[in-house]
Amino acid sequence: MPRSGTSKASRRNVLKGVGMATIGASLPPVGSALAQGAPAAKGPKLLDMEGKAKLAVLGDKPLVAETQAELLDDSVTPTAKLFIRNNGQVPDVTGDPKAWKVKIDGEVNTPMEITVGDLMSKFPAVTYQLMLECGGNGRSFFTPEARGNQWTNGGAGCPMWTGVRLADVLKAAGLKSSAVYIGSYGADPTLAGDTDKPSISRGVPIAKAMEEHTLIAFKLNGQDMPLIHGAPVRLVIPGWPASVSTKWLKRIWVRDKEHDGPGMGGFSYRVPKKPIVPGSKGDEKDMAILESMPVRSVITFPADGTRLTSRKLDLRGHAWAGDFDIKTVDISTDYGVTWKPAKVDAPANKYAWQNFSASIELPTTGYYEVWAKATDSKGVTQPFQAANWNPQGYGANPINRIRVLVES
Amino acid sequence: MSQLNVIHAAVIGLAATFVVLAFDRAGELRKDQYVYVPPAPKVAAAPAAVDPDKGKPPPHNDKVEDLPEGKNRELTFYTCTACHGVALIKAQGLTRDLWDSTLDLMVEKHRMPPIKPEERTEILDYLAEQFPPRRKGRGSDNPFLK
Repeated sequence: MPRSGTSKASRRNVLKGVGMATIGASLPPVGSALAQGAPAAKGPKLLDMEGKAKLAVLGDKPLVAETQAELLDDSVTPTAKLFIRNNGQVPDVTGDPKAWKVKIDGEVNTPMEITVGDLMSKFPAVTYQLMLECGGNGRSFFTPEARGNQWTNGGAGCPMWTGVRLADVLKAAGLKSSAVYIGSYGADPTLAGDTDKPSISRGVPIAKAMEEHTLIAFKLNGQDMPLIHGAPVRLVIPGWPASVSTKWLKRIWVRDKEHDGPGMGGFSYRVPKKPIVPGSKGDEKDMAILESMPVRSVITFPADGTRLTSRKLDLRGHAWAGDFDIKTVDISTDYGVTWKPAKVDAPANKYAWQNFSASIELPTTGYYEVWAKATDSKGVTQPFQAANWNPQGYGANPINRIRVLVES
Repeated sequence: MSQLNVIHAAVIGLAATFVVLAFDRAGELRKDQYVYVPPAPKVAAAPAAVDPDKGKPPPHNDKVEDLPEGKNRELTFYTCTACHGVALIKAQGLTRDLWDSTLDLMVEKHRMPPIKPEERTEILDYLAEQFPPRRKGRGSDNPFLK
């Protein structure tokens, strides 16, 4: 993208973002409620955006929206139902996607700037069903509250991604022996409207970058990448916090040390190495980078709060565990006193979530909680309550619970 | 000789007339008057321009009243909403200590312009009073927290 386009984007974003917020603040409340639909009397505000389902809005600016559990029911997440997490503003649409350039530099023998057109023609395209999950997924389960967007389990989805392997591109550039990490940059302006500073820039060790499922993706569910999901190209680094799956990808900087862009230090995307008192400030020295996401299960049918007319309950959902597979999912309808194994399907490919289902006969009419607990291939399972509290709230993956009422 | 002079005079006169007419036509002699400019001929329709905003979320603006009433509400509103919406603020439930480190995070990671110490105190007063920890249960009254 030419630099002139960037400076134009900067002006417009400043006007629309910061300027309008201040101007809007002094105007009577006309447009804002109309823009995304009035909040429902009860429950979260629902997203009203072309091409997207009525997701639960966690924040309007930047736009952050999660997929309610019952909307996660599809085996392959439709684009309309994929969660949205922005750290900065959404950059302008590019007129010519194939001319968009991605720079590969740093610890490589041949630094390059490659167009999307060349990426598509020079490297083989692959398609996988891959988990994308916000690092803060489950944050709302922490007590006391941890800082940030209050996700339930809906900062996650598993659509089909098509792209080229990052490994192929890095091999073409020739990794030097000094290459240990990548840091990636997107075109999204900061919330303050700057286009010359990254809104966020995270990365992964070289081994993860070279993994065969790590993609520079240009299609989502077989269609050109929508702008809100990172058009024209984005990284998809499955199983790790989605903040490493940089949208609107502009640059991959191969580093000779751990990447240190905004979002790599302090308490961001880090979990305690040594447990800290819940609600306290903690110490940055005790934190380690969150890499593989933890094991999680979500019942997607029936919805929480369903009234049943029969004691027979056919339930289903998905489970996933970062870099690992799901070994078992167990269901309890008596607060964990007894458990029954659910049927668990194999993943479509590595890094795809796994469907589970169970047929349960509830003993009586009345009120029940139905719990699901997944265990991964290492034997690690979900805790009864969100564990390992940390100030920015990563890694909350308690047992999933829905409430049902069986009426006679 | 006199005949040549007459021809010279005629040529010079005509040339001068043309120059004056040209200046006049160009509007140089009547600068404060509007000059008729014929419309540009229509060329083939330009290729459809890409709307750079297509696919972006609808713009969103909050107002001061979207935050609960309290002392220092306006200062807090204008400081925070220069970048992000009030929904993010309202979703938080933090101790004063954690609100304090939140402001550090905004300055250090999110490039918020530094705030004057007295304003920082006022903003902290508002946030700590309006949005304290609210979730109850195990962990909400930890014996080791202060």
